[in-house]
Amino acid sequence: MSLALLVAVLPLLYWDQPTATAADLRRAGIERLWVPPERVAEWRRAGFDASPLTSNERSGRVTLKPPGIAARGDWASATQRPWIDANGWRYQRQPRARYLETASRGTAALAASEAFAHDADLVLAIDPGDLDKLGQALAFFRALPEASLPGVADLAVVDDGSFATGELMNLLARRNLLFRPVSRPTAGLPLVVELGSQAYPKSEAANPDALALKIRAQLGDERRTLRLFGSEVVLARLTGDAGRLRLHLINYGGRDVEGLRVRVRGQWAPGEVHVLQRGRRAVEAPIVQDGALEFSLPVLGPYAVVDLVAAP
Amino acid sequence: MERRAFLELLAATPLASAGRAEPVADRPPPPHYRVVTRFAPAAAPGMPGPFPARVIRTRARRNAAAAEEVVEPGVVREMMERGMRALTGESTTLAAWRRFFEPNDVVGIKVNAGGRPYCVTSPVIVAEIVRQLTTVGVRPSQIVVYERFYNQLAEVDYAPQLPEGVLITAAERGNRSSEQRDYDPGTYVEAQFFGEEDTRSNMMRLVTERVTKIVNVPNMKDHGATGVTGCLKNIAYGSFSNVARTHARGVTHTLSAVGTLAAVEPLRSRTVLQVMDGLNAVWHGGPFAPTRRYLFHPRQILFGTDPVAIDRLLLDTIDDKRKAEGAISIWDRSLSSLRFDNGAARDADPNVNILIREPGHVEYAGRLGLGEWELAKIRVEEIEV
Repeated sequence: MSLALLVAVLPLLYWDQPTATAADLRRAGIERLWVPPERVAEWRRAGFDASPLTSNERSGRVTLKPPGIAARGDWASATQRPWIDANGWRYQRQPRARYLETASRGTAALAASEAFAHDADLVLAIDPGDLDKLGQALAFFRALPEASLPGVADLAVVDDGSFATGELMNLLARRNLLFRPVSRPTAGLPLVVELGSQAYPKSEAANPDALALKIRAQLGDERRTLRLFGSEVVLARLTGDAGRLRLHLINYGGRDVEGLRVRVRGQWAPGEVHVLQRGRRAVEAPIVQDGALEFSLPVLGPYAVVDLVAAP
Repeated sequence: MERRAFLELLAATPLASAGRAEPVADRPPPPHYRVVTRFAPAAAPGMPGPFPARVIRTRARRNAAAAEEVVEPGVVREMMERGMRALTGESTTLAAWRRFFEPNDVVGIKVNAGGRPYCVTSPVIVAEIVRQLTTVGVRPSQIVVYERFYNQLAEVDYAPQLPEGVLITAAERGNRSSEQRDYDPGTYVEAQFFGEEDTRSNMMRLVTERVTKIVNVPNMKDHGATGVTGCLKNIAYGSFSNVARTHARGVTHTLSAVGTLAAVEPLRSRTVLQVMDGLNAVWHGGPFAPTRRYLFHPRQILFGTDPVAIDRLLLDTIDDKRKAEGAISIWDRSLSSLRFDNGAARDADPNVNILIREPGHVEYAGRLGLGEWELAKIRVEEIEV
């Protein structure tokens, strides 16, 4: 399989270390990587599928901030609703863009999971100490059942390309309000949000969190396709069609979440849970009520995937 | 079968206030609460129980040879025995405890360890409760001392005072908002207070799945959100997850949340006895007590089944002490006193609030049927030991 096809589904490592570290990479199960142009030849001689990260390649990629919890006491409570730096909304906004990110120490698996959940083309530089964690994440992604499914959304956001609309998408994603960026107002979803319209004047974008809360109220929690309970630091991406759903759960908190409760609206049967760093698990306490399936996850590390099938 | 109840709240509840001339904080409208539980109430719910509007207050005489905060274990035992006999009208202590417990009960003892190290539920009182339960015939393995956060329990270390077999447990290792497995996903209160996404507070599995009865053993403490934390706050916020979300930016919804949570089944039915530890108390900075600065020593233990009546007395105990110390009242709603989210300022100055307190939560709980709020209707029996 060519590198071009692989980058469409898996994030790839950028590694500026010499080939003396080849054994470390093999132990981590990594055989394809980006390297500095001057190291391409030696890495290829060492048997790796190496591509040069040239200055042109760098400049053609959107640089991202590493994901995680940020200390923003002025805007967010450290314990109740922490500030999260997340990139999912960027991936959703520009799904065909190519990305470059330097993960801070301890966040390699999280950064890779964000990209994988959104089918993003990401080149990821990491702290060498995170190599095994990244390798573990990549092996986990490869072992998942295949699922190329479109994103599920409860609302559309008309993307005018502005910073304000981007911030709104950021805050919608922060609240797990499932949105679809569109280029012009479109039918088919319960809500269409267009900054500058009568319903959503641009002045409201000055406080994107308040605007996201307004949109949440308009949508109504009971009508939302997805709700999460038991954590304020887990963000989700939901993909699917009439027959199956794949739920990606990304935990930005830096510690395990135990007993996360998930509510998915619709007629779905409890399915498989694949938990990064934990393996395959069964859902707990599933119940169907009020037109939705609810279940709990025993434990969630940085990332998990839940596959659901339509109830018979 | 699951039973669902929808509580429409008392939007225009007349509640007492200080009535100052300076600008005061408005009370936010209460949220809509949705209560989900599969449990039906008992024929006679534990709260307010068989002794509504009745409180027994035992006081320990001062021992001139001992420090003010020291109450001898023997004196505590006598306070407990006489208090329980007075509450029930039974002639023996055993008969008094048998009014509430049977040998096959699994009994939870809800302590309060949040005020560690200086104001927590006394291990001596907990040990005496366990002793009386075992006298009734409840095996130590059927007794559970519990809190929400294990790190707090570990600091108090109840184990040395208790017989082998008593379980000491908590729902979460610490206050980190990441451990939900020991909460019941099917028993919760759903409400949105400040736009939070996680809108559920779930009851501990221990309460829904294991214990048949609960003894609630709070302290006498000031509280930055509720004015005081006594029976109602201890059993409600100490048995549900995700409750800190009820206050933010100087405002708290504890007025309605405390009583609403306490009234959820099976918590309401299973909480059959209230024993308020007033040996030591906190008049400011609560619910915490990291220093001795705001400690005082009422040398009391209160008994009852009506949490509202006991907490009504507590409001006056704390407020009277604050007045004696020259501090603003727990009923103070002045904006000039408010330094929200500034715990350091609050700890340094007893005339600083970090939230507009809601001591009216006691009256609110009374209106939900959890007990008697009106002081004139509360019958207090005083016993000096």
